[in-house]
Amino acid sequence: MEKYQLDSKSGSNLTVLESTFKNSYFRRIRLLKRLLSHIFLILVSVFAVFPVYYIVITSLSPIPALIDVSAKSILPAISTLTLANYRQIIYDYPFGTWLKNTLFLTGTSTVLGVMLALTSGIAMSRMLIPGKKALLYMMLIISTFPFVIMVIPFYFMFSSLHLVNSYVGLIIAYSAGAVIFSSWLIKNYADSIPRDYEEAAQLDGYSRTGALFRVLLPIAKPVIIFALIISFIGPYTDYALVSVLIDKPHLYTLTIGMYSVVDGTLGMNYGTFSAFALLMGLPIFIIFFVFQRYLSSGFSLSMYK
Amino acid sequence: MAESSDEKMSRNRRRLSLREELGGYLYILPLLAVLAFLDFYPIAYSILISFSNLDYLNILKPLQIVGLRNYYTIVASGMLWKLLYQTTIWSLGSVAIMGPLGFVIALVINQRGLKGKAAYRTAILVPWAFPAFITILVWQGMLNLNYGIVNRMLNLIGIGSVNWLGTPGNAMLSMILVNVWLSFPYYTFVYTSAMQSLPAELLDAAEMDGYGIFGRLRRIIIPMLSRQIAFITIFGFIFTWNNFYIPFLLTSGGPGTSTQILITYSYVSAFDYYNYGIAAAYAVISIIILVIFVVVVNKMTKMMSVLY
Repeated sequence: MEKYQLDSKSGSNLTVLESTFKNSYFRRIRLLKRLLSHIFLILVSVFAVFPVYYIVITSLSPIPALIDVSAKSILPAISTLTLANYRQIIYDYPFGTWLKNTLFLTGTSTVLGVMLALTSGIAMSRMLIPGKKALLYMMLIISTFPFVIMVIPFYFMFSSLHLVNSYVGLIIAYSAGAVIFSSWLIKNYADSIPRDYEEAAQLDGYSRTGALFRVLLPIAKPVIIFALIISFIGPYTDYALVSVLIDKPHLYTLTIGMYSVVDGTLGMNYGTFSAFALLMGLPIFIIFFVFQRYLSSGFSLSMYK
Repeated sequence: MAESSDEKMSRNRRRLSLREELGGYLYILPLLAVLAFLDFYPIAYSILISFSNLDYLNILKPLQIVGLRNYYTIVASGMLWKLLYQTTIWSLGSVAIMGPLGFVIALVINQRGLKGKAAYRTAILVPWAFPAFITILVWQGMLNLNYGIVNRMLNLIGIGSVNWLGTPGNAMLSMILVNVWLSFPYYTFVYTSAMQSLPAELLDAAEMDGYGIFGRLRRIIIPMLSRQIAFITIFGFIFTWNNFYIPFLLTSGGPGTSTQILITYSYVSAFDYYNYGIAAAYAVISIIILVIFVVVVNKMTKMMSVLY
């Protein structure tokens, strides 16, 4: 009995020793792992941020042309910073008109597309639609077609309808793109909401459709915001279709405007270009970070459940 | 409870009136109209154009069908094979880097107790938050042979200038580099949320049992996320196959046609060379390849079932 106790005592002493040794070993390994993780993540972050940082700095520096870029321009002295490039882009180019055109086109088609998608999305989730599976399969396949492939037929369709140099064709085409994707999203979202809510509303005397829209619409706010953002970015940065359908300068959007500033002369107007790039990118950038939490729920919804 | 609601549903189904049955279609009418007039009709029209001799000479004449002549031309000239090869290299090369990079970053950033996660995550989101149309042009300036900041910095540390966009191999590599920069935030983001959905107790237990990170990866993380990984990779491939703006803006398909992919060359054929028939043929071939790809992959992985 005594012997056993002694044995176990010395044994436990050994484990304590061993474990302190092990602990410090593991702690050192863990510290090294942490250090390496931070180095890796800092490198990744620098890679991620650098181009945007670089264009911010360039837009604020007196760098009229690409030829004036030097390694030093990455860290300019504060005293050399200037808003001259911004003044130039706003006063020397019809930036305001381009922005107004873009916002009108993009806003109209986004709202139109998402509104149409709301009814179809909710109906696809809740109503009896024979052949729904086939329809969804078709939508999935069509959503893998690039928008650019539609540009050739759209060009001939809209030309024959006299919709060249008109926003009507563009709005139709853009909202069509938004409808497919947004219906899909809203259907997936509605599928994840239990039917009990609208059944309760029906017991309270709402009609079936009334109950559906009154109950599901407020709950679907996150996915609606997500659909609006995603549908906004596409037309906002579309060049392929708009450059084919629009050739009157007063109808230019930001992308054609930027292309006309840059085209062949990126080297010449570098400062102007970078100020332009920043002014054009900033709205999207802000929207993205303000609505970040809607984006995270939205993206997992559009991928898988 | 579940049974009773099932019963109710089947009872409801039996009682359905014609009005109710058509009611569903009424609500998806806008969607059906869009599909019919702005997807099926244009695609059918593209197919028709691809069998016609529509170009700048015949643009005002009625459409004249010439059979498979356009397809014969692009096969005989070797351009189709060249484009298919380049599109494949471009898609596979991008997917092989951006997916795994996003996965590794997600793995590193997901460590428990790591400080500064929020800051890293915000920094990583930046490429995604800025419109690609702009940042591709920014990269074009940065990669400029004589004046770009990338070469200036390389010179500073004693490395000679690299002709990033001027030789076929480098231009393709630069395109993939820019694509990785644009896309890895998305992959990091998706994989982070996928990893957070894994049961923490299971991973803890495995760690207690002495599994290192590679053991946990091989035994738990990768097997449990295999469906998501397959899905994300397949859609990444499709998305890259269709990515228009990187080749169009960064290299304009050059030098020569060495970085043209199917859809950029289709666009250029139509709106720079006015060979609409040829352009439509390239577009149709790209669509056919995509459809076959999606259908086969769906058969193999039943991946579409996650979508219903």
